Amino acid sequence: MPAERILTRNVGRPDSTTLAAYEANGGYQALRKAVGSMTPDGLTEEVKKSGLRGRGGAGFPTGLKWSFMPKEVDPKRPHYFLINADESEPGTFKDRLLMEQDPHLVLEGTLLGAYAIRASVAYIYIRGEFVHGAAVLERAIAEATAKRYAGKNVLGGGWSCELVVHRGAGAYICGEETALMSSLEGDRGYPRLKPPFPAASGVWKCPTTINNVETVANIPFIVERGAAWFSSVGKPPKNTGPKLYCLSGHVKRPGVYEAPLGLPMRELIEELGGGMLHTDRPLKAVIPGGSSVPVLRADECDLDLDFDSLMAKGTMLGSAGIMVMDSSVCMVAAMARIAHFYHHESCGQCTPCREGCGWLERILNRIETGLGLPSDLDLLLSVSDNIMGNTICALGDAAAMPTISFVKKFEEEFRHHIEHKTCLTGTLAMQGVR
Amino acid sequence: MPRVTIDGFEMDVAPGTTILQACLQRGHEIPHYCYHDGLSIAGNCRMCLVDVEKQPKLVIGCYTPVAEGMVVHTENDKVKNARSAMMEFFLINHPLDCPICDQAGECRLQDYAVTHGTGKSRYTEPKLALAKAVDIGPHVTLDQERCIQCSRCIRFCDEVTKTGELGFFDRGERSQIGIFPGRSLDNAYSGNVVDLCPVGALTLKEFRFQTRVWYLRNTSTICAGCARGCNVVVGVGQQPTLMTTSGQLDDRIKRIVPRVNADVNDWWICDEGRLSYLREQGATRLVPAMPYDAAVAKAGAILAAAARAGTLGAILSPRLVCEDVFAWKTALEAFGGGPMRVHPLRRGEDDGLLIRADKGANSTGAGWILGQSFGATAPFKARTLLVVGDTLDPADTFVPEPGSAAEIVYVGPFVTPASRAAAVSIPSASWSEADGTFVSFEGRAQRVRRCHLPLGQDARPGWRIALDVLHAAKLDAPAWTSADDVLAAIAAKVPELEGVTPAAMGLLGVPARGTVGA
Repeated sequence: MPAERILTRNVGRPDSTTLAAYEANGGYQALRKAVGSMTPDGLTEEVKKSGLRGRGGAGFPTGLKWSFMPKEVDPKRPHYFLINADESEPGTFKDRLLMEQDPHLVLEGTLLGAYAIRASVAYIYIRGEFVHGAAVLERAIAEATAKRYAGKNVLGGGWSCELVVHRGAGAYICGEETALMSSLEGDRGYPRLKPPFPAASGVWKCPTTINNVETVANIPFIVERGAAWFSSVGKPPKNTGPKLYCLSGHVKRPGVYEAPLGLPMRELIEELGGGMLHTDRPLKAVIPGGSSVPVLRADECDLDLDFDSLMAKGTMLGSAGIMVMDSSVCMVAAMARIAHFYHHESCGQCTPCREGCGWLERILNRIETGLGLPSDLDLLLSVSDNIMGNTICALGDAAAMPTISFVKKFEEEFRHHIEHKTCLTGTLAMQGVR
Repeated sequence: MPRVTIDGFEMDVAPGTTILQACLQRGHEIPHYCYHDGLSIAGNCRMCLVDVEKQPKLVIGCYTPVAEGMVVHTENDKVKNARSAMMEFFLINHPLDCPICDQAGECRLQDYAVTHGTGKSRYTEPKLALAKAVDIGPHVTLDQERCIQCSRCIRFCDEVTKTGELGFFDRGERSQIGIFPGRSLDNAYSGNVVDLCPVGALTLKEFRFQTRVWYLRNTSTICAGCARGCNVVVGVGQQPTLMTTSGQLDDRIKRIVPRVNADVNDWWICDEGRLSYLREQGATRLVPAMPYDAAVAKAGAILAAAARAGTLGAILSPRLVCEDVFAWKTALEAFGGGPMRVHPLRRGEDDGLLIRADKGANSTGAGWILGQSFGATAPFKARTLLVVGDTLDPADTFVPEPGSAAEIVYVGPFVTPASRAAAVSIPSASWSEADGTFVSFEGRAQRVRRCHLPLGQDARPGWRIALDVLHAAKLDAPAWTSADDVLAAIAAKVPELEGVTPAAMGLLGVPARGTVGA
């Protein structure tokens, strides 16, 4: 029995991107309620009670994040609310769905967050490649502003909030929250040293809160149905609310699936995803949270997809990009491809990531093409270890974590490549030259 | 004041002090590339990672402020491993072309590779090939392969000169420092990026391939380019010019670099001062027309006769050291006196950073010594002129007007219009060839040091020539045997310079009693 669709209730409906359709389905009632009868701090408190954790990857409690913002607005330092719509983590495509299919839900959530942190401008920083999503959002903003849901004097409550869509220029790093701010300011998308954290000094050195698209899409439902309802969904107390899962790889029906947090992975793959793509190719491995999290072997996949269950298994829910790999996948080739991504996307600002990511890829390519040395596995682990924790932002960790897990969990495959110059999966290693 | 423990050493440090600065305060340097006292903190090199107890990860010492009760380890295994890891990362794409790199010998990559590296690399792949010898400005050449992307040069151009010529281009390991399209690194301080560069990525065109730095004999002195008095280190070539000769040394200035003085020039100097030695080396030195004894005798006779006739006057360059000015004043008074004037140099413009409009490195000191004569504008009636000069710019050189002076006695390092018109000319040592004292526009007395043998034939310190002229004229002369003796006499006679001694000035100079605005 599929769970109630909450975040995706409008997805697939005719004219789902229009204000009329959104309003007809109860849209903007939460904003009306908040602006009319809730204080910003009351809203923050409600979100705190709901247990909502950030859906961008780290799973940080949203209400707590909001509460870090100053309670008064210094006119010289306006508050900014940023929506991180730079969805670029390989295997992740949930925010795109929301923005393209239900832009007003994203906007209503954005407005609610902006209200809670007393922001007068909210920027939606959208991945440059999401040309369609940006256009949909722009249209939705025009509609919402015309009806006083956004802009000056929102719903006559005296609070104003301008919504701005800002398109990125094609850099994965700009999804890192401080790099996003640098980019928004017009500088190179370089992550910043922390502290200060955004709430103290964010974009243009002003108090800033940044949330993921899916995170804010939850807010209208918390306001409408209450924190008690929200915290009863999923696996209370720490993994509450509905969640979008991005299922890709060797399954029959890849796509975005909504379920309460804590969906068993087997259920996602076998039932929602329709099972493995080829009946003769069993499950081999799953990357559960986008390409930067440690991989799980098939025998580790009997678990629930929520922040803490995955953490307990040494990996992360991350952006809930669940990539399913069957027995035909060469883990060396898969890891080399992942390393290629991080090599390509490292911003180059700090030394370990700049130099290390390319090195990792080159070692992996060497192993993949049959030129690996027996010492290369230790070298991969050592280089990863030297990157881990020593960088300005998490991109270095994002390259190191999967490398360590692939090498440790599929060591036999890596060794086979090195010793036999061929691949256990039967695919010829030498063809994989990138 | 927070009390912290660094490597077992407890210390109280001012709030806001970073771990790196706290370590420096007790004389311990945490290795670093991107951090520089004079620039904003980038935190990108990751070389200064240190271990702070109760912190899950290593933190960068350059950015992390101390906090009460903090316990820091800068030399434990975790830190040492991280450092050697960073060194390995730095070197995987570095060309290791030290044999042809001008930075070799004063390169932080070399230094830290020795002190913090493992001595070998596990990187077996081909290194990235990037552009070498990129012309980015009139004085600076960029080698993108050697660059470690510390961004010091970018921050200098953004924050100090505020000219913003440099930036990062491309991404990841392909990212490079570069010059923005259509720009040239041609600001008045461009050479500082070469000093800032911890590796051999930025080199000074005028110094490239001139010598190995370990052949330089370095002397701490004061720039003579303007009234600022920037503290500099002059490097003089000490490499045998040819291996087959009997060991002659190439005793010439090879470069001038800034010397840190927070009260004068911070960490920087301007390009004009940095390259001033080239103008001096390119200038025509005065060649003695007759033996030295004959020259000083003739000068003495002319000056004595003019003094008796009451037609003697003197014009002195504001680039002369105090000792020369004072010696010539003493000499002129012994001859019987006459008006003395500091020759005004062509003024430039104050640029708000270091460069001063007044190009006289010792205008202030010369004025103090000459007293009321300084700045006198009354036309000289003198028919015999003593011209003591050390300037090169033709516009700054005293040009005798026809008929205005019957005779000129010239003392100076270079051939000038005055020397050509002189009845007798005596070559003297130039700025880098004799010891002395400059007083900056702020009234700071600073030591000018002899950096190398005089390039001019038979060129001697100006104060010594003054004494010799007195001796030749059979007049009483002070028993000075060194510039320090002259300075002692100055300190006793000139109230503004009372108490100024070599010891008081030390390396960084001392505000004189007559300090402007004091």
